[in-house]
Amino acid sequence: MNDFNNRIDAQRNILRIVNKRHWRVEELSGLSNKAIDRWMLANQIDATTRLAELIRVAGRALFFLANKSQEQVTDEYKHRSQAVVALMYEIEIEIECSY
Amino acid sequence: MMAHIYAFGSVCRGEVTPESDVDLLAVTQGIDQRFNSDLYSVYSYARLAEIWSEGSPFAWHLSLESRLLYSPDNSDFLRELGVPAAYTSAARDCQKFFALFAGSANALRARTNSPVFELSTIFLAVRNFATCYSLGTGLPDFSRHSALRLGANSLVFSSDVFGVLERARLLCTRGVGAMISQDETASVTLALGEIEGWMRTLLITVASHERFQ
Repeated sequence: MNDFNNRIDAQRNILRIVNKRHWRVEELSGLSNKAIDRWMLANQIDATTRLAELIRVAGRALFFLANKSQEQVTDEYKHRSQAVVALMYEIEIEIECSY
Repeated sequence: MMAHIYAFGSVCRGEVTPESDVDLLAVTQGIDQRFNSDLYSVYSYARLAEIWSEGSPFAWHLSLESRLLYSPDNSDFLRELGVPAAYTSAARDCQKFFALFAGSANALRARTNSPVFELSTIFLAVRNFATCYSLGTGLPDFSRHSALRLGANSLVFSSDVFGVLERARLLCTRGVGAMISQDETASVTLALGEIEGWMRTLLITVASHERFQ
């Protein structure tokens, strides 16, 4: 996850899963806090739902990985890289369950 | 805890539009909870010294386009780092951004369910490709429109299509602007071949430029 293009791929994979569901007003355009805010507001998504929480956490984790303030070899960096993959699977389960 | 704060990017070039934000850099001694990572790019002193010695595009960007806003002791950390090491990876970086473009182009042609994200990624790939190319060939341009400012090597492109890409980037990062329509997505998809041709030409140019350095 320490490569720029890999992080884009991770974001793409999460968005593809979320947007498998046909949202009433707008697709989710990105995993920045502001893009998530817009998507939740447009589609009237409750911020306390498990799906909303998972997407928010995934966005924060990817943002952390992109922010080079942390050494990329730290344990926390490795932990968050693995967390993104786990979050993607959790989001997929939430989306499948909500059909 | 010690920290230096800088502004960088468009505001330092005097390029201010209703859409532009102010890029802020915080240089810290480690994790510093005072800085909201939504507002600041946060780098440690050690990491910045490292990217300076790597001669990365970001080091050159900060070296050429940053202004000190706050220093705890009147020192200017970035200026004291001196000139970054020579940038020697333009061809490799351009190839990386070409791959990024190709991934999004394929997704759009396959009618992805996340077109705004892919359009935004194309904007990012085109911009970064052009910036790395410009830096590698000695005339650095870090602006959002770097691809349109490469002289004879500029991307010749419909301004409407470029505007769609730019809007997608704002939607993806800042969550603002009018949503992209299906027709707009289709117009960009039709123009992907032009971008690809431009990138392929510049990949050859930048590789030969590096060979003769």
